[in-house]
Parts: sequence; C-alpha cells; structure tokens
Amino acid sequence: MKARSGAPEGAVPYLLLSPNVLWLAMFMAGAIVMLAGISLQVYEAGKGILDEWTIQNYVQFLSDPFYRDVLWRTLALGAWTTAGCLILGFPLALLLSRLRGMRRSVLYFVLLLPLLTSAVVRTFGWMILLGNNGFINKSLIGLGIVDEPIRMMYTMTGIVIALVEVLLPFMVLALDAALLNIDPHLYEAAQNLGARRARVFAKVTLPLALPGIVSGSVLVFTLAVSAFVTPSLIGGPRIKLMSTLIYQQSMGLLNWPFGGAIAFVMLFTIFALFVLTFRLTARPRGG
Amino acid sequence: MLKALNAVIIIYLLAPILVVVATAFTTTAYPVFPPEGFTFRWFEKFLASREFVESIKVSALLATSSTFIAAILGTSSAIALTRFPIPGKALISALLLSPILFPTIVLGLALLVFSTRIGLSGTFLNLVCAHVVLITPFVIRMVMVSLARFDPAIEEAARNLGAGRWRTFFLITLPLIRPGVLAGSVFAFILSFDELVVTLFLTAPGLQTLPIRIYTYVEYSSDPTISAISTALIAAWLVIGLPVYARFLSVRR
Repeated sequence: MKARSGAPEGAVPYLLLSPNVLWLAMFMAGAIVMLAGISLQVYEAGKGILDEWTIQNYVQFLSDPFYRDVLWRTLALGAWTTAGCLILGFPLALLLSRLRGMRRSVLYFVLLLPLLTSAVVRTFGWMILLGNNGFINKSLIGLGIVDEPIRMMYTMTGIVIALVEVLLPFMVLALDAALLNIDPHLYEAAQNLGARRARVFAKVTLPLALPGIVSGSVLVFTLAVSAFVTPSLIGGPRIKLMSTLIYQQSMGLLNWPFGGAIAFVMLFTIFALFVLTFRLTARPRGG
Repeated sequence: MLKALNAVIIIYLLAPILVVVATAFTTTAYPVFPPEGFTFRWFEKFLASREFVESIKVSALLATSSTFIAAILGTSSAIALTRFPIPGKALISALLLSPILFPTIVLGLALLVFSTRIGLSGTFLNLVCAHVVLITPFVIRMVMVSLARFDPAIEEAARNLGAGRWRTFFLITLPLIRPGVLAGSVFAFILSFDELVVTLFLTAPGLQTLPIRIYTYVEYSSDPTISAISTALIAAWLVIGLPVYARFLSVRR
C-alpha cells in the first residue's frame, strides 16, 4: 500500500467545498444578514444611522400609497416581461429543439451572443431605437402607420420592450431544455391517431413543456423585478421601480436602512413566488 | 409561418447589438440608425480618451484576479459535488449556485454595508471579493458538465495502479475536464468584465470599471463613442468566446 498524502478519505469532499462555502458565508450570507440588521435601524437625516431598532422602514414602504405604487409597478413589470418572453420564446425554443448538429449550434450561439453582451450595451442600443426620432418611430411615420411619434423612452412600454429582449435568451434556454425531453415519437403517435397540429400542440407539446414554462417564467420574473440597468436607463429618474428606488435611497440619500427594507421586501416577494410555484407544481403525479 | 415568425424574433433579439455596431461608424455627431457615411473617428476618440483606456485596465485586472480565484473555488466545489457521496448534496449545490438568481441590486447594497463595516470599502480587493461571489457558480456548472461526461472508473483505475490523489487529479482528472474549466473561466471572465450593478455600489475614485464609465456616460449624454467601445467589446468576446464555445460543444459529442 502506498502512503496516502494528506487528509483521510471522508474529509476530502468537505475540504474541497470549504473555500467556496466560506467565501459565500462571508461575502453573501454575512453581508445579507448585516443588511437585514441595518434595515431595522433608525435613519435620521443629518445624523445618519442610529443605534435604535425599529420596523418603521418596512411600515413606511408598505403603507405609503406612493411606495405601494412602486411595488405594484414593479410586479406589473415582472408580469409583462414574463408574458412577453413566453410568447416570443416559445416559437424560438420549438425551432431550437427541432434543429440538430451545426444548425442547432449556430442558433444556440445566436442566443448566447446577447447573453455575452452586457446589459448596458444592449440597453444603449434600445435607447437609440426607441427615441422619438429613433428608427422605430421614423419607420412607423414613414409607413404612415402613425402621424406622431409614440413615446417609448421614459415609459413602462419602452422598459418592457427592452427588458423582454434582454431576458429572452434565459426563457428560450429553459424551454429548450424541457422540449428536448419530449420523445418525438409522441408527436408521430398523436398525428397518426388523427390529431391536427394545433391539437398536438395543445395536448402534447404544451403539457410536456410545462416544467420548462414554469422554471423559465420564475427565472425571468425574478430577473425582471430586480433588473436595474435597463429600467434606470430607459425609464429615467421619473419611473420609480423597486430596484431604482433601492439605488436612489442608499446611494443618493445614503439612507441604507430604508434602501435595505425595500431590498428585503423584494427578496420576500421573490421568495413568496418560489414557494407558490413549488406548491403548485409539486402536487403528487397522476392526481 | 413558424419560420417567418422566428426570423422576426431573431431580428428583435439581435436588433440592439446590430444597431450599436452600425452606429459606431456613423459620421453624424450622435448615434443614428441607419448610420450615415463611414468613419473610424469614434474608435479614435475612444482610444484617445484616458478615462476609458484607464477603466479598461481596471476591468481587465479585476476580471483576471476574480476569474483566477473563481476557477479554483468552482472546480474544487464541482469535483466535491460530482465525485463524492455527501449528505445534503442537493441543498449544498443549490446554495453554491444561488448567486446566479440572487438579485444583484440587493447583493450590491448588502456588500456596501458589509464592506464599510469591516473596513474593506473603497479597495480593489473588495471588488474582487464581490465578483468571485457572482462568477464562481458559472465555473461550477461548466465543470460539473465536464465531469459528468467521463467515466469515474478511469480515475479509479489510476488510483488502483498506485497513483496518489494529487497525481490522479493532475494526470487524469484535470486534462479531461480542461474544456469545462476553460469554458467556465472564459464565461466567468466576461461576466466579471461586464458586471455593473454590484460594482456600482462598491466603486470608488480610481476603481472605475469600463461598464461604470459607459453607464455614467450614457446616463447624461449620447454619442457614437459608446457605440465604438461596445463594438470593440462585442468583437473581443466573439474572438475569445467562439473558439472556447466550439471546443466545449465538440467535446460534448
């Protein structure tokens, strides 16, 4: 028997995991716990953060109509963006899941290219396209579809148009993973039994793609409600969303306690969504 | 029908990238699409700008250091998760991958509070610590895919033939998972280089990364210099990313 170097066999996986776990324990878990603490502290303009405990920051955000609007607007942005990504992502995912070999690799790369291009760059592209004198409005006027430019910059519509594009690859990749798991023979069987294409789609494709629809939607919704770059550049300072408010409060006004409270409301919202989808999808099979 | 629809969706998906690249060469003073004329003036302006060139150095150093640490942490985690029976494996891997989904706007503020308390704020090290959190999950994922592709029996054989743990790792495991480690690292590097939100909370004078320069510039003004910088970035990622991506895919089959 050769002399073994180092730790006993059973300790090896834990030694391998420990650097990563310790890093996250400090720079993620530790930081979040500290933020939770500060969200419960009093902030006074001029004096800064005081050593007094309070839940006032949460009460203020959830009771003030202005801030409640911010919460609803953020949830609406999440819902619209998720719906947009589902509608545009499904046809693309169907195509991707049916392609093989080189053609699949090329389309896959077309989806990865936006992911590898930073959100700032893509949002900048949308700023050029969405302006009153931008390409979209010029084309619409040139074609005689509208007489006056449609305002898209600094509106929720503009944010949704750009954000759906930014998050679309995530949805397509999630849907593709589910669609690839469907046995192609099922389509043939359904067609041989006389089902038309629309019926095959409704009775075979859609139900079997459901896990992908759920995971893709949860992912896109989470990323949409917490997105900062696209909403802040397309929406400007006037459209208030949770993410832009967190930034404004903590970086502009140095009110970390209130910024922290909004951040935790956001986390709770996302957490509630996860629990809800888990409850809805984890029902026993065959029921 | 489906084909025409998909063509429209793909155009929509690529529209902002195409617009940015096209407007980088326009002769107009602001970015218009379709562009007018053809000039390299905006690229020259970008390279002559001390601020932008300086910020590229900061970003490159930050992405390189973060990727180096993330590659080590991520690869060792991936090996632990795929090669050893450990209790609570699903939970541990979910936690290690959680930074992918965790809202960056919240993590940014949390790290600002944390780093101020422990006296790390305003340092380059602080940015590295934050970026490692964000990019390590992507290394873990890619390396796990690589590890799943080859038979652990090869490693066992090496061990049975008398190779020690380290020898087995460097002579057998590492060469076999190299495409995964490489793909994960390249992806991590690009993500770190492009990261904006968390960095925005932790930045300080002298630590302005390229995305921060672009963001603050775009917020108040708009000229084709930004298009030129963005085009250079997209080209760089294509040159670096495409071969690694192709190699990763070819090993898959």
